[in-house]
Amino acid sequence: MKIGVYVCECGSNIASTVDVDKIVEEAKDLPNVAVSRVYKYMCSDPGQELIKNDIDEYDLDKIVVAACSPRMHEATFRSVLEDKGLNPYVLEIVNIREHVSWVNSDKDKGTEKSMALLTGAVHRSALMKPLERKKVGVIHTALVIGGGIAGIQAALDIANMGYKTTLVEKTSSIGGKMSQLDKTFPTLDCSQCILSPKMVEVNRHPNIKLLSLSEVVAVDGYVGNFKVKIKRNPRYVIEDKCTLCGDCLPVCPVIAHDEYNQGFSPRKAIYISYPQAIPASFIINPDDCLGIDPLICTKCKEVCGPEAIDFDMQPEIIEEEFGAIIVATGFAPYPIENIGEYGYGTIHDVISGLDYERIVSASGPTEGKILRPSDGKIPETVVFIHCAGSRDPSKHLPYCSKICCMYSTKHALQYKHIVHNGTAINFYIDIRTAGKDYEEFYQRAAEEDKVIYIRGKVSEVLKDGNQILIKGVDTLSGETVELHADMVVLATGITPSEGTKEMASLMNLAVDINGFIREAHPKLKPIDTAIAGIFIAGTATGPKDIPDTVSQASGAASKACGILSQDELEIEATVAIVDDSLCRGCGMCAEACPYSAIEMQVINQYGHSTRIAYVNEAMCKGCGSCAAACLNGAINQLGYTDSQILALISALGGD
Amino acid sequence: MVDLKNLIEITKKIVSREDVRYVVGYKKGTYGFQIMPAFAYTPEDAEDFIYSPVCSKNLAVYTILEEKLPLKRGEEEDKRKIGVVVKGCDSRAIVQIIQEKGLKREDLVLIGIPCKGVIEPKKIEKMFPNQTDLIDVIENDNSEYIINIGGKTHKVPKNELLSDVCKSCEFPNPPLYDVLLGEEVEITEIEEFSKIDELDEKHTEDKWEYWKRHFERCIRCYACREACPLCYCKECMADTLNPQWIRRSVNLSENAAWNIMRAYHLAGRCVSCGECERVCPVNIPLMELNKKIERDVKKMFDYTSGLDEEEKPLFGMFKPDDPEDFIL
Repeated sequence: MKIGVYVCECGSNIASTVDVDKIVEEAKDLPNVAVSRVYKYMCSDPGQELIKNDIDEYDLDKIVVAACSPRMHEATFRSVLEDKGLNPYVLEIVNIREHVSWVNSDKDKGTEKSMALLTGAVHRSALMKPLERKKVGVIHTALVIGGGIAGIQAALDIANMGYKTTLVEKTSSIGGKMSQLDKTFPTLDCSQCILSPKMVEVNRHPNIKLLSLSEVVAVDGYVGNFKVKIKRNPRYVIEDKCTLCGDCLPVCPVIAHDEYNQGFSPRKAIYISYPQAIPASFIINPDDCLGIDPLICTKCKEVCGPEAIDFDMQPEIIEEEFGAIIVATGFAPYPIENIGEYGYGTIHDVISGLDYERIVSASGPTEGKILRPSDGKIPETVVFIHCAGSRDPSKHLPYCSKICCMYSTKHALQYKHIVHNGTAINFYIDIRTAGKDYEEFYQRAAEEDKVIYIRGKVSEVLKDGNQILIKGVDTLSGETVELHADMVVLATGITPSEGTKEMASLMNLAVDINGFIREAHPKLKPIDTAIAGIFIAGTATGPKDIPDTVSQASGAASKACGILSQDELEIEATVAIVDDSLCRGCGMCAEACPYSAIEMQVINQYGHSTRIAYVNEAMCKGCGSCAAACLNGAINQLGYTDSQILALISALGGD
Repeated sequence: MVDLKNLIEITKKIVSREDVRYVVGYKKGTYGFQIMPAFAYTPEDAEDFIYSPVCSKNLAVYTILEEKLPLKRGEEEDKRKIGVVVKGCDSRAIVQIIQEKGLKREDLVLIGIPCKGVIEPKKIEKMFPNQTDLIDVIENDNSEYIINIGGKTHKVPKNELLSDVCKSCEFPNPPLYDVLLGEEVEITEIEEFSKIDELDEKHTEDKWEYWKRHFERCIRCYACREACPLCYCKECMADTLNPQWIRRSVNLSENAAWNIMRAYHLAGRCVSCGECERVCPVNIPLMELNKKIERDVKKMFDYTSGLDEEEKPLFGMFKPDDPEDFIL
């Protein structure tokens, strides 16, 4: 066996705190080492050439590179080996930059540690074996979960790139939270007007299959080959037959709260959530309707000309396979009734941001007139309280919900545009306007439209006759503030939606401390999850405005297409393997696996039916959790076997 | 005191069941204070069963020692249940094995015995050495052992002969059983396992000197492993050849490696039955290692092994809200 050792100076990054010449000389005496060299930048072309020439000249069969973290250049050096016909997995990288030179200033000690690590690596290298990357086929369809603006954009982008896409939406219509908004900051263009063309496009796109009233209930498989079960709940109205004529509306005897209008207006048990809803079809809410079970009322069915109503519809389970999945399950407003001192739910005229959107909307319950809920009068003074729930680590949400400064400013501005003589007061902690044209928008509100901004937190909101008494502190002057308003709008914080939480636990996606889905890397992989082939878009990962959401959705779509466009995917070879003779089938590994890559199989072992762990190599990421969890030591990770690790440790211990 | 007639009757009933293969219990040994494990395949076999304060053996070990031999063609697997007589700690061992999915609850019939503590064989042999006749020991109501040797009756205060682990036992009643013999024992007084405090206070070097003295004597007979109901790996790490974690040679380095590894492999799993120490032919105080780790596990994770068969094993579970304050 011939091992080549290559030590990198990394300019002065390594050479300044490690005596590279010394360790190169000492490495020559290590077992099996045929050649040992130092170079200024091993990752450069000449550096790579050096290794390539040595592989030819010395007939090397193992390579040890002492340089930076393998996260930086493992792929570079693996390709060097591959170029010369060596297996890429007989490469060992010793991290003497991040692990030694960058965290150490004593050159003697740095040299000593580098030498110890290098010695261990050479011993481990001797036991390394060539590994083979396996290939898996790819199913060329995508699944997008969540039909908000993120899901809509992602589905459209994938479909436009020529791949079949299934868009799954839990409610009766796509559109999500954006469909409830009146106008969007900072341009004040109508939300519905910019959203509905996209919704229509989803509906008519030949590559998109839209499943409304549907939920993903199971996800199995791996990148390129996900097996998904989708539960489709009954609409009780046949989508293709409904013509939206509305003949059913007058005859329906049931009155219920209209969820789309935040409960401010009534709707029937048969309804369409809003005129632009897609799929463009009525729906019967089974909880409200009298006709479904038991059969008491069939009035709508009797009047329906196209015979679109079917009380016997049943939930169905659809099983399909997909190559990639995009999770765009969105957010839910923070339950602001939790903030007792703000009086939401007890004081009529204290409303949430989303309530206000409906009140100010022309399609809303007041047809665009700003009327307060209690008595329908025009409020003369409106107070907008920022950070309702957000930035309150002791009691509520620790984080900034990002969009509230802007939407409260928008709300105040909209109010001033409708009620010209009215007073709009914003209570804020800080104004955060980090976005294109956002600061200008805020300046316009404060200067042109005379929206009043008071820096400070409101401590209490009380009912005082017909009015609302707001108590707070102006933190700029340090004085306490008490003022009366006719209406209070709370800038509600953003939390992960139920759907986001459900999907995270269903697919074993890591979540952060606040319940949002965790990105594979917060900066460099903000769209990927830890599971290959599953991507995230929109507020499922954290608070976002519409432009960010849309661009992330497009990013996720192009990532997904990166998979769908392949015929085969190569999978990492450093996967876990199970020694059947040692496995006792406890399944602890399957529970420890963060990627659901292990399943238990029953095999016949000399007549006894025995449970054995089976590793799905396509799903395994080689993290080693299973190997650590196995009580019997029956699991090894290829490339990091127990023997190799023991050789390394023994060498470190000087034995 | 356990009603012997009742024990035998119940065992007979269980053995007679069609879905039970055999019941493991205790029977008299051949000399001195010895007892032996008894396997009752038939109701007649159950006549030999006894129970007395010298029945210290943890019979849970027999549930996992049985080797599954290859079956002949056409031969059916014997899927019948195994019955075991269990004290508090023995039952906890069973619970722990079930947690680790080494056994299935439905494959066991457990005869629970509320335990008043067992006699430490090493102590009683020291007090009455070289006994050739078989000797009965009975516990009376005044916390004394009545020991009849050659027609002479000795009364010994319980505390002098009681096993050290029993003195600090918090769980004398079996947490898991199918039949319980007699009333549950009330926990009156628990002595702290004080030896670990003494050791904790020592300087690292003194600690090493202490353990060096003990580990040097180890003859690597692995009796501790064989007697332990929770050492049931298909292939022990001490036996593997590739990689060879521990060498075969008997010297301080390898002995220390074995003893420390054994203790750590029981972290969060040991049920403090004391069998390892009891069977050690060179008297290494193994329970001091086990108890120290047990206490650390309790402190760090607030976890006690072998109490709930539905719970996940300590090192097989992950809590997102784990404070992990001892890491940083």
